[in-house]
Amino acid sequence: MDRNKVGVAEPYLPPPPLPSSEFALARLGGYWRALGVSDPDQIAALSEQALRRAAESPESPGLDAVARALVAAGELLDEWLARALDLPRSPPELAAARAALLSGAAPNWPAALFAAPGEADTVLDALRAARAEPVPAPSPGAMPAQRIELFGSLNSLRRLWRPQPRA
Amino acid sequence: MTQTVQPPIMGHTLRRVVFFLLALLTTLGAMGLMVSVFQTDGISPMELILLVLYAILFSWICISFWTAFMGFFVVLTGRDRWAISRQSGPALDPVAPKPRTAILMPIYNEDSERVFAGLRAIHQSLADTGQLGGFDFFVLSDTRDPDVWVEEELRWQDMVRALDGKGRIFYRNRPENVSRKSGNLEDFCTRWGGHYRYMIVLDADSIMKGETLVEMVRIMERHPRVALLQTPPVPINRESLFARILQFAGSLYGRMFTAGLNYWQLGESNYWGHNAIIRIQPFLDHCGLPKLPGREPFGGDILSHDFVEAALLRRAGWEVWLAYDLEGSYEEIPPTLIDYAKRDRRWCQGNLQHLRLALSGGFNALSRLHFLMGVMSYAASPLWLLFLLATGIDAYFQTRHEPVYFFGENWAPVWPVSFAVEMTTVLLVTLTMLFLPKVLALLLLLKDGRLRRAHGGMLKATLSVALETLFSVLTAPVLMLFQTKFVLAILLRRAVGWPPQQRGDHMTSFREAALTHGVQTLIGIVAGALSYRYVPAFFWWFIPVLLGLVLAIPVSMLSSSIALGHRARQLGLFLTPEETEPPVVLDYLAENLEEDEPVLPVLRERPASRFVQALTDPYVNALHLSLLPPREPPGKRRRHYLEGLIHQLEEEGPDSLSAPQKRDLLSDPETLTRLHALFWSRPPANAGILP
Repeated sequence: MDRNKVGVAEPYLPPPPLPSSEFALARLGGYWRALGVSDPDQIAALSEQALRRAAESPESPGLDAVARALVAAGELLDEWLARALDLPRSPPELAAARAALLSGAAPNWPAALFAAPGEADTVLDALRAARAEPVPAPSPGAMPAQRIELFGSLNSLRRLWRPQPRA
Repeated sequence: MTQTVQPPIMGHTLRRVVFFLLALLTTLGAMGLMVSVFQTDGISPMELILLVLYAILFSWICISFWTAFMGFFVVLTGRDRWAISRQSGPALDPVAPKPRTAILMPIYNEDSERVFAGLRAIHQSLADTGQLGGFDFFVLSDTRDPDVWVEEELRWQDMVRALDGKGRIFYRNRPENVSRKSGNLEDFCTRWGGHYRYMIVLDADSIMKGETLVEMVRIMERHPRVALLQTPPVPINRESLFARILQFAGSLYGRMFTAGLNYWQLGESNYWGHNAIIRIQPFLDHCGLPKLPGREPFGGDILSHDFVEAALLRRAGWEVWLAYDLEGSYEEIPPTLIDYAKRDRRWCQGNLQHLRLALSGGFNALSRLHFLMGVMSYAASPLWLLFLLATGIDAYFQTRHEPVYFFGENWAPVWPVSFAVEMTTVLLVTLTMLFLPKVLALLLLLKDGRLRRAHGGMLKATLSVALETLFSVLTAPVLMLFQTKFVLAILLRRAVGWPPQQRGDHMTSFREAALTHGVQTLIGIVAGALSYRYVPAFFWWFIPVLLGLVLAIPVSMLSSSIALGHRARQLGLFLTPEETEPPVVLDYLAENLEEDEPVLPVLRERPASRFVQALTDPYVNALHLSLLPPREPPGKRRRHYLEGLIHQLEEEGPDSLSAPQKRDLLSDPETLTRLHALFWSRPPANAGILP
């Protein structure tokens, strides 16, 4: 990418095109392929689901219809992951599962997406193993700030004047 | 968790009495000679200044000399009943649960490839011992650079996948780097410290052998009163001439010096900030650092936290030891003279802050001495400069003084008394104390055939020592001026304004050398001309200092040369055991750095910006999102700010954003998800960015 050619008059990201279902399908298709889905039928089915989901979702500020469809595509994936891996629906958990899915640990995951329950156990085991675990469970401890009695000529005089009682 | 105070051990007390008595008597002897020179016609104010400066500087040299001498004695005899590794402790309970140890690597905008190659090497070496199960690894990132941040996450995940390290190799990036490195470690201790009995703290360029790590834990288990065990890191792996000379010096003299330090410090030793094992509970209880009242440089965060943590542990009755005879602990050093000075700049402020702590209540005498030694490692330079200036001025006035041969009722001339013998003795004593440790270290090679061969044989090692001495004579005045400048800048609260230190080998260009050393060269020329004109006799004594300054530019450039470093190695000069017989852990490091087959395909690409990749690449985006710590949703003002950044990115591209702005975008999950969708929703700007 030659960023020198990018100026204020020519935005870094091109302006959003007029929404059309062909364009949205093309972008969704590109996205699914980037995620690792190569079967055109699967791509079509997934894109259709994403479009339907986006249409049902409320308008989000700053996101056009195509961007909303792409967000919906991600949510579809997360939903499947949460169900298949029995995960809590917290964003970091889902992102970790999605990262495991896209890491290459289970290259045939698209097949598992369309498989009947119980037929994709190998893929799911691979995903569970590949899920990142960045930190262990907390085991907190207190670390109180220590008192350091700094030298000061006045402090010394004060000590002389009012010596502390011996313990 | 405070330890009960133990009665002093006779052997420890005896060692300290011998050491400090020797240092004191030597200082008094040299001072006596100086006073005998000055006192004949009364001591002038200038001579008094010279005496005071000489007393401070000479006592500093004495401590260093007697440390080396005691180290020589210990290594030569091979007997040291007080070495912590050789002391017996209570028998271990065979059924007690095995301790868990966390290996911590705090990092800040470092070269991720090198960081993870090093950590992998340590992991591999530890796996070879069969003791991997007792250790966990933590990469504690304080990185602010957005590209480096994303790179770190990928490298971490790649390491986990490659070494099957899930649940054993951890990574976190702190949202705010409060209190720098000490805050980073505190964050670990307060969040996960409860899982572990010990932590081994590394630096970004630390390497440690697995056996050494296991041995450190074993020593801590045997000595429950020990809270901290420091190993002496040996400098390795650099190829420039400058670094190879320093590596040689560190390898040859370091062993003797650390043995000497342990001779008198014993259980009241110091902490050097890394390559050390710490018992976590006492660290939690006693090492929470307060902010010092007042403004910088003496107030605010405690910068050189390591000395203070050791002093706090000692204050609470815990022991701190230097395991000088534990091998397999390594670090990398700055590759050039200029990078070395940059590192000094970072350390200088923290060490000067210790002046305030040395006079604080509650610390024991040796902790105060450690603080003062920290201060002196930088304050010595301006003091030497003052001493040289005062000597020059005094010599100038001496030349103006007309000798009077006839006075009073003397009919015969009264010849001025010559003190050449006394002055030469003072000079020779000082030079002996400075250079004899190098000869002693060389003599130790005669005892150990393996070590002698590893340093290239006696002849090559002797030649290397001679050249290293010449090099240190030439660079000492340059470092003196650098450190004087740093001390003054810190005291005047002025920024010196240098770019970050470069850790990898690289050559110093003429421009960089001229810009950095130009003023020093000029000072050398002017001082030389003035002394030659007004105090010619002084000029000849002054030549080693002048030469170092006048040659600063070529010495800095030539010593940064990697080709000269290689040539010296071919000639068998400045060889170290780590070069001639590299330990397996260093082989692992070299292999990891050369390896070009990461598990994660995304690491095989070298995109212009990992920041952009975190926005566009679905995997990198998801991994980054999964590693973000939970946080409150942004407030209205913050949302507007992020909105503005999104528009700026859309219109002007990523290069228009500053690093902190990019970091802000990367830190907010909602913004990241939105940007990811925005990128994929547009037709590709060009083929490079989206499929």
